[in-house]
Amino acid sequence: MSKKSSKISYAKYGYLFSLPFVIIYAIFHLYPTIYTAILGFTDCKGLGNSNWHIFTEDIWRNFRTILNNNTFKTSLSNTVLIWVMNFIPQILLALLLTAWFTSKRNQIKGQGFFKVVFYMPNIITAASVAILFNTLFGYPKGPVNDLLVSWGLRSEPYYFTNNATAARWIIAFIQFWMWYGYTMIILISGVLGINPEIFEAAEIDGANDRQVFWQITIPNIRTILTYTLITSMIGGLNMYDMSRMFNNGNPNNSTLTANVFIYNQAFSGSYMYNRAAAASMIMFVIIAALSIVVFYLMRDRNERRS
Amino acid sequence: MNSLEKRSGNPVYKAVIYVVLIILAILSLFPFFVMVVNSTRSTQEIQDHAVSLIPSSHLSNNWNVLTGKTFNPYRGFINSVIIAVGCTALTIYFSTLTAWAIVAYEWKLKKPFFGFILAVMMIPGTITAIGFYQFMWKIGLTNNYLALIIPAIAAPGTVFFMRQYMLASFPMELLDSARIDGSGEFKTFNEIALPIMKPAMATQAIFSFVGTWNQLFMPSILLTRNDLYTMPMMVSQLKGDIYKVEYGAVYLGLTLSVLPLFIIYFSLSRYIIAGVALGSVKG
Amino acid sequence: MKKYIVLALALCMVLSFAMSASADGKTVINVMAFTDEVPGMITKYFEAHPDMAEKYEVNTTITATTDGLYQPALDQMLAAGEADIYAAEAAFVLKYAQGDAAEFAAAYEDLGIDVAALTEAAEIAPYTIEIGTRPSDGKLVGLGYQATGGAFIYRRSIAKDVWGNDDPEFVAEKIGAGSGSWDAFFAAAAELKEKGYAIVSGDGDIWHAVENSSDTGWIVDGKLNIDPKREAFLDLSKTLKDNGYHHDTQDWTEAWYADMDENGGVLGFYGPAWLINYVIAPRSFGDWGVCASNVGFFWGGTWVMAGKNVIGTDKQEVVADIIKWITLDTDEESLQYKWANGTLNGEGGTKDTVASGVVMAKSNGELDFLAGQNMFDAFVPANAYANGKNMTQYDETINTYWRDAVRQYTAGNLSREDAINAFKQNVADNLDVEVDF
Repeated sequence: MSKKSSKISYAKYGYLFSLPFVIIYAIFHLYPTIYTAILGFTDCKGLGNSNWHIFTEDIWRNFRTILNNNTFKTSLSNTVLIWVMNFIPQILLALLLTAWFTSKRNQIKGQGFFKVVFYMPNIITAASVAILFNTLFGYPKGPVNDLLVSWGLRSEPYYFTNNATAARWIIAFIQFWMWYGYTMIILISGVLGINPEIFEAAEIDGANDRQVFWQITIPNIRTILTYTLITSMIGGLNMYDMSRMFNNGNPNNSTLTANVFIYNQAFSGSYMYNRAAAASMIMFVIIAALSIVVFYLMRDRNERRS
Repeated sequence: MNSLEKRSGNPVYKAVIYVVLIILAILSLFPFFVMVVNSTRSTQEIQDHAVSLIPSSHLSNNWNVLTGKTFNPYRGFINSVIIAVGCTALTIYFSTLTAWAIVAYEWKLKKPFFGFILAVMMIPGTITAIGFYQFMWKIGLTNNYLALIIPAIAAPGTVFFMRQYMLASFPMELLDSARIDGSGEFKTFNEIALPIMKPAMATQAIFSFVGTWNQLFMPSILLTRNDLYTMPMMVSQLKGDIYKVEYGAVYLGLTLSVLPLFIIYFSLSRYIIAGVALGSVKG
Repeated sequence: MKKYIVLALALCMVLSFAMSASADGKTVINVMAFTDEVPGMITKYFEAHPDMAEKYEVNTTITATTDGLYQPALDQMLAAGEADIYAAEAAFVLKYAQGDAAEFAAAYEDLGIDVAALTEAAEIAPYTIEIGTRPSDGKLVGLGYQATGGAFIYRRSIAKDVWGNDDPEFVAEKIGAGSGSWDAFFAAAAELKEKGYAIVSGDGDIWHAVENSSDTGWIVDGKLNIDPKREAFLDLSKTLKDNGYHHDTQDWTEAWYADMDENGGVLGFYGPAWLINYVIAPRSFGDWGVCASNVGFFWGGTWVMAGKNVIGTDKQEVVADIIKWITLDTDEESLQYKWANGTLNGEGGTKDTVASGVVMAKSNGELDFLAGQNMFDAFVPANAYANGKNMTQYDETINTYWRDAVRQYTAGNLSREDAINAFKQNVADNLDVEVDF
């Protein structure tokens, strides 16, 4: 031991180093958020309305209106459905690719190229991707329909964007396609963070690829998996651009997401900031509840220094 | 014999892997291909067939349409770089620092603080924009990049990732040995923790850079002066005419706006691929 | 790593400060627009007035309407009192001239423009004035430079092939011009179908005619109102689809554009003069004619407005002069004269119909596109049908819901009743409008 006693308290550094985050968060994020939350309890609607009041009685009325709003319910179930439809294939593929790329035995050539390329769909703005796919599935003429008809798979073009199931699957596919590379990179960086000695030890013990993956890799990237699951869930439940730009929530609201609904409340005509704010808060509670469940299911059981 | 075969991998299995990888690569590259090809085609050709594999001859025409409008690629590029680099650098540095505060130290409010970070990650961004804009306007930060850059210091999602990564792969013994060597806490963070976090930082830097480069909603509301416009804002203006859309020029604009992302992406990607961190752990 | 980060940061900070500072002697005029059209005009104005250009500097903000960004951006600028001149499109002009945002606008007369005398002298199309008049005080706050009365733009070769005649009067009679009904139109559609042609490209083509010829708007006394003519659009669309009278395209999609090509196989499109200039003309040329529509309608147009914050400042005079030049002047140097004759950006530009009757009377609307036909003959009388009575400030949003409901019914996904209910549900849930179920 050096001059410093081992009992010296380093707690102040914890506070000190988190201070910039706390200050900036409080000013630039928390204040606007609280402001928004308060709006949920007011009669603030209409453009440029600075003369709004907090309800003195029946303060939950905006929340009740939203919870009774059929379109909100539809949008909520769409959001969850589309997220599940894209997340399950996405995480499975990402795990498979991670296993392939990190396996010492497979020695895949051009790994760098593949990793770089798989992430690329994520580089283009969601809006451009949505527009591109909308054109691909165009009706009555569009590349996909042209192929279906010319290969004789269909006798006439199919109106993809006017069918609820088809439109949902297309959006789920776009999300899957945009994000599997991202998820893969996150998982790989998690695997690279594992102490290589653990792998070496496993190799000496004669473990095969499958055993290494399930018994060493997966448990060691548990925290990163939690991160992936939670951020993907938050991102998925907050999906906005894709739904709005692909087909504006159509057909018949089947691809309307909760965030597009919220945006519409606030900006599509009536400027009902109060209802939009209430809907945001409801979404926040739902996402928070789900995240807590996930976090507890996947909590790091042997957290250091606890 | 059996173990030798395992060591080199099963050739059939390997072939399957390559086929899957190549198909995925084609899928991933497809939109870029369409984008680049379309930036050489005329608006009419694109309206007829949005997807074509054959480049056309209208590149210079599209360039003229593009620069003839309010589109100034150089200015947009510089503006976007300032915002994206500023945001990325702040996000990465301060998120790692915050994660360090959570992982390396024991303090009373640590758990509540981490819980708070988790909670605020979940707030939908769309709606707080109203409050944010009004606040920025009151303190005179509209038409100022600081309103876009400074908030990047507090990025809960990145802190969460850094914390998860640090927990899994940072050997705390290093901290103890640094203290024994008499290194200050801040110096320890900068000189020991940061290098070990490189792969995680590179990963998050790419995501952060791409995210800020592509953001459209907030800048569109905050920046109203032409000379402050970012690249994506300029591209979105190109589609802005409801009576006529110059698709060829739009695709050229999109291509130009993605180009810098490629550069930054390819220059950082080696950190992800090589896994440089491991050396410093062993040492 | 750290050094680079610090360096990059410092650079960013310095640059962002440097770029955010603005300092020069000129007074800045803030212009908000959703296309480069109005800003382009203002540039021309200052080119013609170098004395003004010395004193003023224009700061233009163009925000696309496509992502729904223009209105929030404009609203913020208005609330901040920073928008000096701004443009509003027909789809949302009511909000700015008569609705929630009308109070931000400066009345033309408060800017010092002699509105009553000038509108009369220029013979401005009455509907432009009607839409641009603020109900709270009856003052004019916005005027358009275009006139967007609509006509039927048809392909001559198809008319000749089916009926042996491509004369505008003949085609007008065929589709029942002026009848206010769709009976003759469908009879013509059946004749075209026998020859393998479609009469229109999609139901969107007749929607604008239906929308703007209805007697009431979407909202009456704060309640959702479905005008019988608009409700009938369900049946019109269904008839088109079930009989194969159209190509079932959606407007502004690839397939719709493709139908404007030489062998598009579609007789025509309902639209105003700008549809010719901007949309059809770049695609095929010379084989077109234009005739009166069976129902009178108008579609689109841009209104020019000023923020009330300019009143009493040193900007007032120049803002008033720009607005007057764009919307009210009629001489050969005026914007409308150049606009109608396609000479704003030099000879040979696209021609358009404009709001001033005086300008229209002395302008020449002959187009090569129409094989030399004078388009003003068809479009000018159509302006008489245009009025703002059936517009509401929520039109853009409500129309989206309605068009989707109609598509669902036409495609057979929903029954007629369910489609109407889905539409009502959307309006009730998303807008602050009362709805009776």
